Amino acid sequence: MFLQQLVNGLIIGGIYAMIAVGYTMIYGVVQLINFAHGEIYMLGAFFAVTFISVLGLPFYAAFILSMACCAICGMLLDVVAYRPLRNSPRLAALITAIGMSIFLQNLAMIIWGSRPKPFPHGTVPAYFDNTAVTFGGVNLSWFHLFIFGLTLVMMIGLNLIIKKTRWGKAMRAVAQNKTMAALTGINVNRVITYTFALAGALGGAAGVMVGAYYNSLYPTMGYVAGVKAFAAAVLGGIGSVPGAMLGGVLLGVAEALGAGYLSSLYRDGISYAVMIIVIILIPAGLFGKLIKETKKSM
Amino acid sequence: MGRLSPQNLSRGDMIRIGLLILALILPFFPFVSDYILHITILIFLYMILALGLNIVPGFNGLLDLGYVGFFGIGAYTSGLLTVHFGLSYWVIIPLAFANGAIWGILLGAPTLRLTGDYFAIVTFGFSELVVLFLTNEIWLTRGPLGLPGIAPPSIDLTLFGGPKWEFAGELPYYYLAIVMVLVTVFVMYRIQDSRLGRAWFAIRDDEIAAVSCGINLLNYKVIAFAISAAFGAVGGSFFARWVTFLSPDMFKFWESFLILCMIVLGGMGNIWGVMIGAVVLVSLSEVLRELLPLLGLPVQVRFLAFGLIMVLMMRFRPAGIMPIPAVAAKMKAGRVKRKRGTAAAELKIGSTTGLNK
Repeated sequence: MFLQQLVNGLIIGGIYAMIAVGYTMIYGVVQLINFAHGEIYMLGAFFAVTFISVLGLPFYAAFILSMACCAICGMLLDVVAYRPLRNSPRLAALITAIGMSIFLQNLAMIIWGSRPKPFPHGTVPAYFDNTAVTFGGVNLSWFHLFIFGLTLVMMIGLNLIIKKTRWGKAMRAVAQNKTMAALTGINVNRVITYTFALAGALGGAAGVMVGAYYNSLYPTMGYVAGVKAFAAAVLGGIGSVPGAMLGGVLLGVAEALGAGYLSSLYRDGISYAVMIIVIILIPAGLFGKLIKETKKSM
Repeated sequence: MGRLSPQNLSRGDMIRIGLLILALILPFFPFVSDYILHITILIFLYMILALGLNIVPGFNGLLDLGYVGFFGIGAYTSGLLTVHFGLSYWVIIPLAFANGAIWGILLGAPTLRLTGDYFAIVTFGFSELVVLFLTNEIWLTRGPLGLPGIAPPSIDLTLFGGPKWEFAGELPYYYLAIVMVLVTVFVMYRIQDSRLGRAWFAIRDDEIAAVSCGINLLNYKVIAFAISAAFGAVGGSFFARWVTFLSPDMFKFWESFLILCMIVLGGMGNIWGVMIGAVVLVSLSEVLRELLPLLGLPVQVRFLAFGLIMVLMMRFRPAGIMPIPAVAAKMKAGRVKRKRGTAAAELKIGSTTGLNK
């Protein structure tokens, strides 16, 4: 029982982590809570279903194509909505983000309808449901392993991008000081847009995985997932990528255990409560920058 | 009140009095159906809510994303006290006000030290927790089934040997709503011109300068948040007795967003602007509610329009239809810089004295 809950928590936590990383990266470079990030995740799931059912693509191809589309959506979001407000007060950007979130959510409702949609029958590889490993009475299906492995690969890949590539270096520079970054010849706006693309791709991947895992997509799915992922990002310390990863996993486990042992009714409440408590007690989160710095960036 | 003699009235005053008289006689026009009356009451309700919320972002420059939580608290306070104890509405108004204020202080006191974004997120989380509580504590609120059969308000003069007159139809609610809006507007104007209001404006315009003038930031912000919450709760108490049915679904985040839209659209911090925002958005919402089914779209899609309005307003007219100078100057601070154009100036973020500094 405990192990099963723990495994469930780890899996869903990995997915939260993937979304949370998007929030935290964007916050890192533009100090904006991108409320529309949850909607990118929702779009990812819907794109995949559309590619499968309309274009007849196999699951993996649809997965990758959907990630690419989400990356483009992320870039569009930045260019269309946020870039014109780069120098405006934070309040304006934040309200725009909420506006875009609501806009995208309702756009999806117009395009795909408001009723929950399943993945088309038989398109998710059949062996996904087979048990891959059994230990301590816990059955892990191939799908669990797929999600787990992919999350791990993406997190490692992301870390490599941020730490080792020129582009990652530029991102870190922009996050630290935009003026200095611009003076050293970095095209700050382009780096920010690429960051949105990277975040969008990760969010889209998370969306496809969740959509296939629960086999149910609906236009409001991005809202709750987005809030939880944001809570994870806050828990880890907003702006810190490893923090978001750890925060996601911790929140997933806390939620699974809380739902299993305390009350499943308040499953969603756990993340809200964690968010509020963390913000009040340790606003910098587990891995956040010093509070002083955080305050300065407000 | 010698000011009210006709020759002393300014043009603005005349318009105000004209609008008030129009509102008072509106129900007697032949074309005004119960439906129109209902929508007008809704507009008045949203005016109260928007004016209440306006205190936090408009007067203090803090973003509050959880206002509907206080609206819900007020509504359920009113609903439960009516259903279980049969309290009169006139007793419930101060109780709802107090309950809203208490929750405002409980939430505000620990969180108002936080700066902009963090505070917005906490309020958002709070309102979601309120909805979860209302949904799950079935013993108290009947959960998703909703709370039906809330008695309408009545004017009970039996104590003085008079008659007892129960509200029926939309008309009494209409006049009650007008009175409540008038009281709210009066209070807002008085606060705006008081020491309290000036302290808030100082905080909004420059926190550091405000502190150095001896303004206790936290105290003033908590007072603002509590008053704002209390007005939300009073709006909720009216809502409960008016629709006579409550369900947790009515207090979702979208409502907060809608009320925020009204403020942003009308002009943050401007009492008149905020009221106009309420008129425009409630009317728009109703028009879309009629129009969308004709186009074969679900009614929820009207939020798409609201989302778009917010994005466009922030882009092209961030201080609203009726901007107040202080907010407009801030919202424009970034724009001027961009036109100047060198790469470094373009990217200098820290120097803009943002609303959410």
